[in-house]
Amino acid sequence: MDKDYILEIEGLSKGFPGVQALDKVSFNVERGTIHALVGENGAGKSTLIKILAGIYRADAGNVTLNGQAIAFKTPHEARVAGISVVHQEMKLAEPLSVAENLFVGGILTGRGNLVDWKEMRRRAKEIIDNLGVEIDVRAPVDSLTVAKKQIVEVCRAVNMNCKLMIMDEPSATLTDRELEILFGIAKKLRGEGITIIYISHRLDEIFNLADNVTVLRDGLMVNTVPVRDVTKRRLISMMVGRELGLEYPKEAAQIGDVLLEVKNLVRNGVLHDISFNVRQGEVLGISGLVGSGRTELARAILGIDKIDSGEVYVRGKKKLYRSFREAIKDGLGLIPEDRKTQGLVQIFSVKRNICMVSLDKIIKKGIVSARLEQQYGEEYAKKLRIMTPSMNTQVQYLSGGNQQKVVVTKWMMQNSEILFMDEPTRGIDVGAKTEIYHLINDLVKQGKTVIMISSEMPEILGMCDRIVILHEGKMVGELMRDEATQERIMEKCV
Amino acid sequence: MSETGTRGSAFLTKMSQFSKEYMAIIAILIMSVVFTLTSPYFLTWENWKNILLQTSTVSVAAMGQAIVLLTGNFDLSLGRNVAFTSCLGAILMKSTALSPNIWNPWVVILIMLAMGTLIGLCNGVLTAYAGLPAFIATLGLQNVCYGLAKLITNATPIATFPNSIAFFGRRYFGPMPWCVLIMIGLYILAQFLSTKTRLGRNIYAVGGGKEAAFFSGINVKKYTCLGFVIAGFLASFSGVILMSRLNSVAITNGQGYEFDAVIGSIIGGVSLAGGKGKIIGTLFGSIFLITLFNGMAQLHVDPFVQDVLKGFVLLAAIGLDVFRNRKRA
Ligand SMILES: Nc1ncnc2c1ncn2[C@@H]1O[C@H](COP(=O)(O)OP(=O)(O)OP(=O)(O)O)[C@@H](O)[C@H]1O
Ligand SMILES: [Mg+2]
Repeated sequence: MDKDYILEIEGLSKGFPGVQALDKVSFNVERGTIHALVGENGAGKSTLIKILAGIYRADAGNVTLNGQAIAFKTPHEARVAGISVVHQEMKLAEPLSVAENLFVGGILTGRGNLVDWKEMRRRAKEIIDNLGVEIDVRAPVDSLTVAKKQIVEVCRAVNMNCKLMIMDEPSATLTDRELEILFGIAKKLRGEGITIIYISHRLDEIFNLADNVTVLRDGLMVNTVPVRDVTKRRLISMMVGRELGLEYPKEAAQIGDVLLEVKNLVRNGVLHDISFNVRQGEVLGISGLVGSGRTELARAILGIDKIDSGEVYVRGKKKLYRSFREAIKDGLGLIPEDRKTQGLVQIFSVKRNICMVSLDKIIKKGIVSARLEQQYGEEYAKKLRIMTPSMNTQVQYLSGGNQQKVVVTKWMMQNSEILFMDEPTRGIDVGAKTEIYHLINDLVKQGKTVIMISSEMPEILGMCDRIVILHEGKMVGELMRDEATQERIMEKCV
Repeated sequence: MSETGTRGSAFLTKMSQFSKEYMAIIAILIMSVVFTLTSPYFLTWENWKNILLQTSTVSVAAMGQAIVLLTGNFDLSLGRNVAFTSCLGAILMKSTALSPNIWNPWVVILIMLAMGTLIGLCNGVLTAYAGLPAFIATLGLQNVCYGLAKLITNATPIATFPNSIAFFGRRYFGPMPWCVLIMIGLYILAQFLSTKTRLGRNIYAVGGGKEAAFFSGINVKKYTCLGFVIAGFLASFSGVILMSRLNSVAITNGQGYEFDAVIGSIIGGVSLAGGKGKIIGTLFGSIFLITLFNGMAQLHVDPFVQDVLKGFVLLAAIGLDVFRNRKRA
């Protein structure tokens, strides 16, 4: 009663065919605080946000904003009321420039009602500069990396002048430095009296940033508590309903022969003279800032991009893959960084997506076996605990983290010998992360090799045997597991 | 309370799923009732045989369009492909009559099919490998085909062909014309191939998400191209049936088939956005379209008015598709 709440949620429920995404959820958000929302994949976080943003309508319950009952019918209404959302799945107008994206819905006009490009670019630049990042405001959004797109999203929300900003996993793709920037902004906005609802699976962030935290589990609200009153362990057990084991359950595997060797690899303007190797049973981490060439390195090795000079050896034999397909056939694989477009066919069912890479395994005598497809789908979905109403559900209806699990599953089924993972745990909850780490352990124990690209430093430190550090397309260092620390990596990155 | 709520909505989803998949059949039934009430001739076997006969040519070309739509593209050249290949066939057949030893009708048919396939290949190569927008590439080939058809026939109709090709359009199996059976057979085969083989799976995957298909190791260019190739083949097959059925050929053959095909496909549940819908639906979509115009003809609707209406049906179908896709977001 004595507290000043900007948002009060009471008895909020929302069901989809086959799932109750939210079940009588109630909590309040204090004005001028950063309020974290956590829970496992599919717990209902994004659904709650979408109701606040006017994208979904609640089945039951009341929401009060500034003391007034609200039930937005369109995102526009929500925006007018001062609620701005950075969504988990990005919603930018890809072919348009950064500046245009910042002003979507409110293009600046000058004299004669013409678009005032100059002013628009200037203001866009101001906002972006404020965040301390380098993005050309004239560049079309689709030319940006995933991380930069995310920053544009944040900028857009800032530009909308909102009172309540909701960030749905804005950090999933950001590296530490970008995260620092984001945190800086969040705190600055809080200082200016703006309230922020912040969703993340990276619990460290919650402790770093948030004042209060609400935990959801299977659509039910577990608790809302001040962050200073909980420990990480406690928070995790509230989220998953049980105690979890080690956060990084690294198990050393038998190290064998060199499986992949890269010598003096060059891709003009992108990669400069990169050499390294990986052995059977090894997990190699590739660390570096966004734009340092991590993804590009994987692409060049896998035949997706052309190599200008240098050699790639697989199992001691020189290889030059002309297409990604060739690389896959030769036992290589890649879990791509962008699950939405690269990882999944959104309109296909869960099982169909799972079996997409390894179609061979479900084809008998030239005919696709529906039985095998169902069987494999169920088997792998169970392994990674993918939450879905059925194998026939289109993946677009799964929660973000569960979609990511489907992408990982595709490649588990393919069983590649040399598997590149580009941000494999992006948007995945703590429990599922641990499951993926166990999978990595299993892979290397079978004498396979995993090359992990990740922006999450603790994950790299926790799971890799060796770490290669890239900076602006050059290899600037290589650290063994026991000598690697966050500081030593960062030192080389800048 | 929430129990019944979920069950109720599950029921609704099922119903809407059902009506989506069988919309064409439902539409045909409703239309049939209306036309039966307004025209005594409508419900006769004679009339239905007619409808099926007409469907047999359009729907085979429409199947090609459906496949191209599944890959996320669009083929504007289908109709003129029908015209050109059937004109080419007619010319070759006529020279058969002059010197019977040179052109066996069956050889002619093979040449027609090869030519149609080649046109499809051109579309495919230009779109998939040279990177032209499908709209431009197929519009180009549409004009090439039409020009060639005029060129080789001097724009005059050609009639009466050897009896040996009558099978495709004029022979019967019991009460059923062979071409209708061929059409049904082709659709069953295509439905099977599209759902149960690598080829079909990959065509859907390419249309459903190009990038995701690429990152799953699917040769996106190849399957995009193959879609056009198959469509070209089917267009010329439609040309063979048409030539045989009418026993005459004119450059206007197949005119507008590409749009009829789009209407048929969309009503049958195939999406313009690619990767979604059943091929077999296109058969029902095509029957729907032919039935609609058959019924209107019996009501003596002015043919020009029918053309206008066809335009509206096309727009309505596309609008429907856009609506269906929007709802899922
Ligand atoms: N449009 C939809 N149609 C059907 N089911 C949906 C839809 N949106 C969400 N769901 C289901 O509702 C549940 C909650 O999903 P939601 O996206 O809110 O989870 P989340 O907490 O954001 O998870 P994550 O951490 O993985 O992003 C999931 O089981 C999901 O499959
Ligand atoms: Mg979510």
